[in-house]
Amino acid sequence: MAESASGSADKSVQVKLVLLGEAAVGKSSVVLRFVSNEFQANKEPTIGAAFLTQKCRLEDRVLRYEIWDTAGQERFHSLAPMYYRNAQAAVVVYDVTKASSLEKAKSWVKELQRQANPNIVIALAGNKVDLVLPSPSTSGTGSSSESEDEADDATATPGETPGADGQPESLRQVPREEAQAYASEAGLLFFETSAKTGEGVVEIFTEIAKKIPIEHILASTRGGAGRPGAAGARPGARQEGVNLEENPAKSKDACNC
Amino acid sequence: MSTISTQLRHFKEPTKDELTEIFFSVPPAALNAPQSGSATPSETLPGEEQLEKMEINAVLSMGVQGQEDSYAGKLYLLPPYLAFASLDRKSVRFTIPLSTIRRVERLNARAGIYALSLGLWHDQKIIVQLTSLRPSADAFCALLRNALKAELQRGQMKAVKSFVKTCYSEALVPDESSVGDNEREDGSLISEEKAGAPPRETTYHGGLGLKYKFPGDPKKLREASKIKLWTTYLRSHGRNLTLLRYPQCTRLVQVGLPNRLRGEMWETLSGSLYLRLANPGVYEQTLAQNTGRVTTSTEDIEKDLHRSLPEYAGYQNEEGIGALRRVLQAYSFKNPELGYCQAMNILAAAILIYMSEEQAFWLLGVLCDRLLPGYYSQSMHGTLLDQRVFESLVQRCLPMIHDHFQTVDVQLSVASLPWFLSLFINSMPMVFAFRIVDCFFCMGPKVLFQVGCAILKINGEKLLQIQDDGGFLNLMRDYFASLGESAHPTSADPRARAITRFQELLLVSFREFATITDESILSERRRFRADIIHSIESFSKRSAVRNLKSLERFSKDQAGMIYDALYKAMFLEPPPAMPAPPPAALFTTSGENEERPETRIGLRTFQCFLSEIATWARDETIILNGFQQRVDRTIAEHEFIDRLYFFWDTSCRGALSFQDLVSGLDGVMFNDLMENIEWFFNLHDKNKDGFLSKDEVLTLSESFLFIFRYEIGDAYLGAVSRFMTNAFEYGDALQPQHEDGEKSADGEKPPPSGSNTPYLNLATFRMVVLADEVLESFFETDLSASFRLEPVPDLELSASNNGLLGDIWSNIATADNKKFFNRFTDGIGKTIGKHQVIHRPSIGRYTNLEEPKAHESLLTPAMRSSPSKSSLRTEATASSTTLVSPSDPTPPSPPPKIPASSSEFSSLPMVQAANAALMERTPFAIDDAGDDDDTDEDSEDEEEDDDQVLDEVDAFLEENDSGLTAADKQVANDLLHAKPVK
Repeated sequence: MAESASGSADKSVQVKLVLLGEAAVGKSSVVLRFVSNEFQANKEPTIGAAFLTQKCRLEDRVLRYEIWDTAGQERFHSLAPMYYRNAQAAVVVYDVTKASSLEKAKSWVKELQRQANPNIVIALAGNKVDLVLPSPSTSGTGSSSESEDEADDATATPGETPGADGQPESLRQVPREEAQAYASEAGLLFFETSAKTGEGVVEIFTEIAKKIPIEHILASTRGGAGRPGAAGARPGARQEGVNLEENPAKSKDACNC
Repeated sequence: MSTISTQLRHFKEPTKDELTEIFFSVPPAALNAPQSGSATPSETLPGEEQLEKMEINAVLSMGVQGQEDSYAGKLYLLPPYLAFASLDRKSVRFTIPLSTIRRVERLNARAGIYALSLGLWHDQKIIVQLTSLRPSADAFCALLRNALKAELQRGQMKAVKSFVKTCYSEALVPDESSVGDNEREDGSLISEEKAGAPPRETTYHGGLGLKYKFPGDPKKLREASKIKLWTTYLRSHGRNLTLLRYPQCTRLVQVGLPNRLRGEMWETLSGSLYLRLANPGVYEQTLAQNTGRVTTSTEDIEKDLHRSLPEYAGYQNEEGIGALRRVLQAYSFKNPELGYCQAMNILAAAILIYMSEEQAFWLLGVLCDRLLPGYYSQSMHGTLLDQRVFESLVQRCLPMIHDHFQTVDVQLSVASLPWFLSLFINSMPMVFAFRIVDCFFCMGPKVLFQVGCAILKINGEKLLQIQDDGGFLNLMRDYFASLGESAHPTSADPRARAITRFQELLLVSFREFATITDESILSERRRFRADIIHSIESFSKRSAVRNLKSLERFSKDQAGMIYDALYKAMFLEPPPAMPAPPPAALFTTSGENEERPETRIGLRTFQCFLSEIATWARDETIILNGFQQRVDRTIAEHEFIDRLYFFWDTSCRGALSFQDLVSGLDGVMFNDLMENIEWFFNLHDKNKDGFLSKDEVLTLSESFLFIFRYEIGDAYLGAVSRFMTNAFEYGDALQPQHEDGEKSADGEKPPPSGSNTPYLNLATFRMVVLADEVLESFFETDLSASFRLEPVPDLELSASNNGLLGDIWSNIATADNKKFFNRFTDGIGKTIGKHQVIHRPSIGRYTNLEEPKAHESLLTPAMRSSPSKSSLRTEATASSTTLVSPSDPTPPSPPPKIPASSSEFSSLPMVQAANAALMERTPFAIDDAGDDDDTDEDSEDEEEDDDQVLDEVDAFLEENDSGLTAADKQVANDLLHAKPVK
């Protein structure tokens, strides 16, 4: 405990990050991919918000992401401020196969820019690119368990799954350029991701980590960070963190840049 | 785009009667008051309405001596139910359908004692001693007799037998009452019984657990001994429909229901059993009627089916998933306004383990509609409210924790929200969550608050260490994971060691937080409801404004005011339920054109909306009755408003969105003279061909007359008649040219003589308008200015809303009193001749009954410099003259000009009407003014004339006191400055 406490004061920076986006765009899957490098059926539906943590190394610093994965259903919208208040980063997710989800994403961005922490770093993530890009990993991992996962996952709505094999590009409703243009106009980080293949997921968090004003956060939280409670991450969580620090390194070396 | 809902404003605190019904879990549909909320009211026979409710003091005792103590309490006749609650309202209670009462006997007892013996379906006998005065007791018996008779007539008695067979407890407790059955059953039922009898074991309903096992280890849960205890209890105290709840019942629930009985007991304790009894077949019907229907809710449900208790074996195959789908869909069809909310899937999945689909359907209904009110609604206001209530309870009961949370800025809700939303089912291991659910159904929603507080209290010391939300959540997660462990692992006493953390939790909940009662929760809810509604509303207002595609030229505040007006209109005139998505959605299967649901208003709501903003879209009457002056406002209806409605409906959906309104208002509120003229022209150019037809010219004139209908004086009337004259003169004059032009282009074309052919173009229209001073000033400033964005007085809304101020009754009384007072004073006013009703003008430029001089100050510089300013003055005179009765000969009256004008259109009814109106009002001075427009007049002369006229009018008024006193004139003067009375 003591070690971790001192560590957090020196190096580990807590970053509160919130995931927002329309229902069934794959917010939870993106988090799951990032936190445990898994893709699977959602074990828990998101009521209000799910809370996960993940450590990420950036140069000589360790960032500890506290991730709030919010419920996507429209009526939970009024609860969202509870989760995005004080957030230093937000990932707004949309589904590249569903044009309306980008509209919802835009409205989230607007809301964040007006209501949330003024320095918030926002990333826009167009998820489910695996459905529109015939990527090698998709065909390679076409095992039965994988496809089952896909069907179970909230990201794959029944109507879209069959088309995934047939004519992938026809499913795309949001051209990359359009979203990219919007993102640069609104000053957002932009990624196209696939929680299923892992494409682009770690990059989001890495780029956010680079953009976060870490010194600023450190300065503002140093007062509280040394207190025992702040470091009260349970042993399990710490293990997770260590474990996961290696994972990204293994997969794409993305987090160790 | 967001949706706007005024539903929150319609909240009404339950009345005392309703609270009684809720307490006894009596289905509202079974009561006489028709409840719109319940989509499936049981059939009501005409006779049922006469059945009265009554309550009476009574002492309840069991028929068998020494079995239970006697309890004093109140007996309620709530046809078709009989209910009892002991004085403390918790020790003993029952709710029994009258149809299960087989025999009622008046007992021959000592004098002065009035006792009834009730023989119930399950062979148990209860004795109620009516302790009220004799006449009340007699009355109660008479009502009871009637109610029983009505039940018999409805054939409900027969339904009981087949119904109880669906209950597991019937299989549990050997049926000893079969002999007695024949007493009352008719042949049809016996034959029915024969048909359904052979597979006796399968008649009861059960859940997935029967096939896929129940969660938890049956041995550890001590299922066998629990079943034994319950069998004993149910045998002596009735079961399912006739269950009597004595203290032992609550104790047994608190140690956990046995799995096989759990579903039925949930049903019985929550009262959903009665709904199922009253609505046989409704579940299947609901599904059958909506087969294949796809809604937003069904889509959302699909997404969550595989995410609901996925570890449970029953939900890893189509059987469980299908059941879950059907139950959730059926509820969403039954209550489309609520539809489906995430977390309901967890509840439904949980209860389906223990009960059949039909049982689960009704229990889910009780959960969503009554036990967790508003939790899953579109706004989730119930959730937010109860989180606030919970926070306040924590503040009161656990002030240190609350203060610490404040200090480190941790929100309780981040952890507690899911507790309440999914009844702890996805927070703690299911076996424990279900035991809390047992208590919840037995003891009511307060259990959630009690357990919530107990969790915090038990973890108090650790909670005081946490620094952020994350720490809080981790602590809670660890605690819930350890609920099965010993609470006192180091204790020397083995019995203390045996107590699990979960048992400790329940002990703390019910011992230390017994002060949290249903009443205290109700009153806390009352306390915070207004806050919550306000914050939800301002949240949705902000997002609505933020989500506008374009603010146009409005500021955010102004858009907010438009929103307020829209909101008020929607409150007063709720738009029809969200129509099915426009047909476009049917053709495009891709999500390309998919739009998020957006609130759109219909014409009625639009009229109401416009009346908030445009002065001419409302009829405002100023009423004086000698005691008070008030402004009554009603919504105007006119074709012009309808026209505007369709004009603004640019996407042709037959309904307007908030954005449409903002854009529409933008199209007129910032216009200058020329733009306004064009706007008005386009508004009336129905086919958008750049020409008004003759008909359209007339419609346009009607629009003028409508807008000007309450202007004092005849200035506008004259202007409109001049406009028509000129329009037709110019139109006719220009007509041949158009024809020539068209002929040259199209070759041969018959001369357009019909009233629908293009007639007047914008240029001509502009010329005609600009030829008239009054219309020019109307278009220059008055038209735009007649749209006024003013803060909608919130008070007005809350006064008409009963929920906001918390106390419904006082509010109703106030509103009623106000109306009554108004009527009353009006009545007096009429009798003493002081009652007076004056229409407030919409534009009010030429209102003054004062001397003409004062008028000058009203003129804009532009008008003053205009050549024909005296015409305005004359109009002031005209204003005065309108006070004069038609027979008054005073003002010089040259013959009205209009009838003399082109005879071509004089046959048209519109013009006739206008002329008639002019004639009616004897527009003497106005015609002078009209003439003066053409001649360059000498203003001083005019002024003198005016004075003369005024003098004459004054003289006249003095002579014939026609009811208009100086005070009245004063009032008329005040009209301009009058504000709406709140």
